[in-house]
Amino acid sequence: MSEVIQRDTMLSYITGSVESSAESVAIRAINERGREDLENTPFPTRKDEDWRFVDLKSITKSQFCKLEEANAADVGDISDHYLPEAMNCRLVFVNGVYSEELSSVEDLPNNVIVGNLAANADNNSVKEHLGTITNYDDDVFAPFNDAAFTDGAFIYVPEETVVRTPIHILNVFTDAEKAFYATPRLLYVGEMFSKSTIIEEHIGLADNQYLNVPVTEFKMFTGSNVHHARIQRDSKKASHISRPIAILDKNAEYHSYTICLGAKLFRNDPRVIQNAEEVNFTVDGLVLIDGDQIADTHSIMDHRFAHAGSHQLHKVVVNDNAHSVFNGKIFVAKDAQKIDSFQENRNLLLSENGKVNTKPQLEIFADDVLCSHGATIGQLQDEEVFYLQSRGLTEQKSRELLVYAFALESVESMEVESVEKLLLNEVIEYTNRDEK
Amino acid sequence: MLEIKNLHAKVEGEDIEILKGVNLKVNAGEIHAIMGPNGSGKSTLSKVVSGHPEYEVTEGEILFNGEDITELDADERAHLGLFLAFQYPVEVPGITNKTLLREAYNTIARANDREELDPIEFEDYITEKLDVIEMKDEFLSRSINTGFSGGEKKKNEIFQMAVLNPVLSFLDETDSGLDIDALKVVSDGVNKIANDKNAIVMITHYQRLLNYIKPDYVHVMMAGKLIKSGGFELAEELEANGYDALEKELVLNGEAQ
Repeated sequence: MSEVIQRDTMLSYITGSVESSAESVAIRAINERGREDLENTPFPTRKDEDWRFVDLKSITKSQFCKLEEANAADVGDISDHYLPEAMNCRLVFVNGVYSEELSSVEDLPNNVIVGNLAANADNNSVKEHLGTITNYDDDVFAPFNDAAFTDGAFIYVPEETVVRTPIHILNVFTDAEKAFYATPRLLYVGEMFSKSTIIEEHIGLADNQYLNVPVTEFKMFTGSNVHHARIQRDSKKASHISRPIAILDKNAEYHSYTICLGAKLFRNDPRVIQNAEEVNFTVDGLVLIDGDQIADTHSIMDHRFAHAGSHQLHKVVVNDNAHSVFNGKIFVAKDAQKIDSFQENRNLLLSENGKVNTKPQLEIFADDVLCSHGATIGQLQDEEVFYLQSRGLTEQKSRELLVYAFALESVESMEVESVEKLLLNEVIEYTNRDEK
Repeated sequence: MLEIKNLHAKVEGEDIEILKGVNLKVNAGEIHAIMGPNGSGKSTLSKVVSGHPEYEVTEGEILFNGEDITELDADERAHLGLFLAFQYPVEVPGITNKTLLREAYNTIARANDREELDPIEFEDYITEKLDVIEMKDEFLSRSINTGFSGGEKKKNEIFQMAVLNPVLSFLDETDSGLDIDALKVVSDGVNKIANDKNAIVMITHYQRLLNYIKPDYVHVMMAGKLIKSGGFELAEELEANGYDALEKELVLNGEAQ
């Protein structure tokens, strides 16, 4: 009697087929798995709990083609986007395609690999870990990346090795006649007691529509340490759906900081999975949005073993009609005792029409843990503005300073000076847009 | 310097008038004290004069060096040399005292065609001013009022006053919440800043501040008006007899409504 309703899949919004053109057998196998998952998983709607606040129109009202069919513009000179600290430690991807010409990797410690996945497909670590860390049930976006990627970035840091130069993974997107999709991929393997800093950037060079679906996988062996900054400055018409995941062995430390400035629709699902006792991790975020932007973070901090310290500070500034969603899950498994986990979501609403949904979600099955969370939504206080104004600062400057102060804490976590400067300029530009 | 004429004001969007015809004249070199019970409109007067957007002037005018400033924004008034020491200084985590003061100092300098100070010159300039309130260097790099004790907050207001060197300062209950040591430091600071070119209006509930900063004039504020003015002896009288006695006396004389 009942009628089976055929729901759309991710492929409904993609023109043509997602056929693998990867040379590597390992990558083709992941592509195949991704396609199967895609065909069997319906595209999310607002009826799905994880998507109930998000309007996915910017994807569902469009069709996205392969890059080859989009007639994309040349990249031109992008040297302004290079980080002075990482001049010889940079991988560049243009619309998701590796550019050997723009990349520059020199002077790395012995046996460190910073290169593209396709060229390293036979590397044992790639074969062993690529595609094994992502773990998103009922998801269509990670499988879409699985199905479509043919290349990506690969970083390998051997045992007891410290890479002092920050490693810059620069994804740029150019103007194009048609809306296209891109599936950037990053695999990081940190061997025992290795250490590095990764700056992963996504920059839209023009004002065009595209769909950016990156997957990043971090395999952190015993005692390894990573500082992972992710800066999203996609075009204001782009959709960016991110799947960054890290898995931590004993004594590993993974600290991630996601900065969201661009994209019409940003959805970020960071996950950190504890794979042994005694780990430390951070899942921080800073969101600055205005206009009709939507930024949605659904994070999972998954404590499966005893003795973890984890921390999440998610800061959001919303202006105009922009909309922020935060769903921060903290899981603590039954035997995962002595967990010290702290989550804080602070929202600053600058306009009457801006919207914030926040939902801390703690699921704790152990009894000897210290887990806390807090969420606040506030406005700039008139009294604060007046205080600064009474000292001679213009109202605009006073507001700018207060938003700047709010964002500062997150920016200071970057650890790379040029990135901090760049972000502070972005903050100032953001507050100035307020006055136009 | 300052001339307030028949000033009426209310909270924007509300009907109840808080200031009901204030008249006050302040000349260079003078120190005034405005005393009065809670709710008499003392703090409102200081906020209205410094341009708080929450208040609306419904009648009268505020002349500063002959110019009507009633419609100016708070920052424009600051550029002319007005300063308000807050009763409840606002905490601004993330912005240091130094950052705020350099921005403020240079904004005021620009507005008055004076030379701005570069970071090094400014460092020297404010470090010198720390003596006014007997604070250490570290005070400069702390976030504005964040985690400050009540006394430190009030000292910080006087420190800002010293740095910005205003022509006319309103001190809104600067003495409240201060222990005797802090009160001495703050008063000494104010006395160091006072000279024959600037003027100070202190707003206070109690006489004790006036023992440390001697006012030339004392005014009593009640129900939105300055109802009586005099010299220091008026403060002593108030301390001895309280506001009620004064109110009764005025009613008997038919001076109060």
